[in-house]
Amino acid sequence: MSDQPVPPAPQAHEAPSSTPAPHPAPSHAPRAEGGHTGGPPRREGGHSGGGPRREGGPGGPGGPGGGPGGPRRGGKRQYFRKKKVCRFCVEHVDFIDYKRVEMLQPFVQERGKILPRRMTGTCSRHQRWLGEAIKRARNIALLPFATEL
Amino acid sequence: MDEKKTDAQKMEEERVYDLIFICRPATPEDEINKIVTTLEHSTAEHGGKIEKTERWGTRRLAYRVAKHREGFFVYMVIKSSQSDLIKELERRLKVSDAVIKYQTIRLDEELKRQQKLGKHRERRASRRPRKQVPGAPTAPSAPPAPPQQQVPAAAAE
Repeated sequence: MSDQPVPPAPQAHEAPSSTPAPHPAPSHAPRAEGGHTGGPPRREGGHSGGGPRREGGPGGPGGPGGGPGGPRRGGKRQYFRKKKVCRFCVEHVDFIDYKRVEMLQPFVQERGKILPRRMTGTCSRHQRWLGEAIKRARNIALLPFATEL
Repeated sequence: MDEKKTDAQKMEEERVYDLIFICRPATPEDEINKIVTTLEHSTAEHGGKIEKTERWGTRRLAYRVAKHREGFFVYMVIKSSQSDLIKELERRLKVSDAVIKYQTIRLDEELKRQQKLGKHRERRASRRPRKQVPGAPTAPSAPPAPPQQQVPAAAAE
């Protein structure tokens, strides 16, 4: 993909200069295209008819369109999200105790909801254990099901 | 065949239970002691064993239970190979007026899993030093020097 937009660009520059003589344009084209792929005959044949289309069509989006496209993607990439790590995996926790409420508290919302994995970064295994522990703690009134207003 | 096997397994296996019960905050100490002793008696009758009894004291409840916002928590760890024991204990707790909430949780399987995982980790940790020497000596803080000694030894072998 990245190679293709490069060769058409010189064609686009050369083509307008050599517009009165249609022959040089195809002569340039096979050289550039023949080097890349093994399908020059098709493109030659298509170029005589589809030459202007190419220049007008992909030349526009390929050149100027590619320009803004890059920065946009870059902008998305610049928004860097720190990778979350499972806290329990780091501490090598093999058993989540439902009696330690202060340990469970950060994984529960203010109103008592269990925080999803995508928020806390807990791995699936530990989230399973954590959910179980939170539910046990709720049952014995150590954690709320839902806080009253 | 199956029944015999399961019976044999039941006799061999000792289950571990967590029992928490909450008394009304105004309950006098004597009554709580009485409840604990009755529980101890019935566990002894059923061939169980009370490993630990903790009194957490009066704590705030996360929600209202029997119109109380606080409760006196008692925590016990019970070992037993008979499931009838838990039935009996829960019946007693249910009957007593002072108790407003109770919960029994079977924990032996999770503890077993914990031990298994711990062992697994230890084994892996003992293997690790050889593998990790060339790559990344990050994880364990203790053995930075020993692996270097181990590697030539392994190579010599």
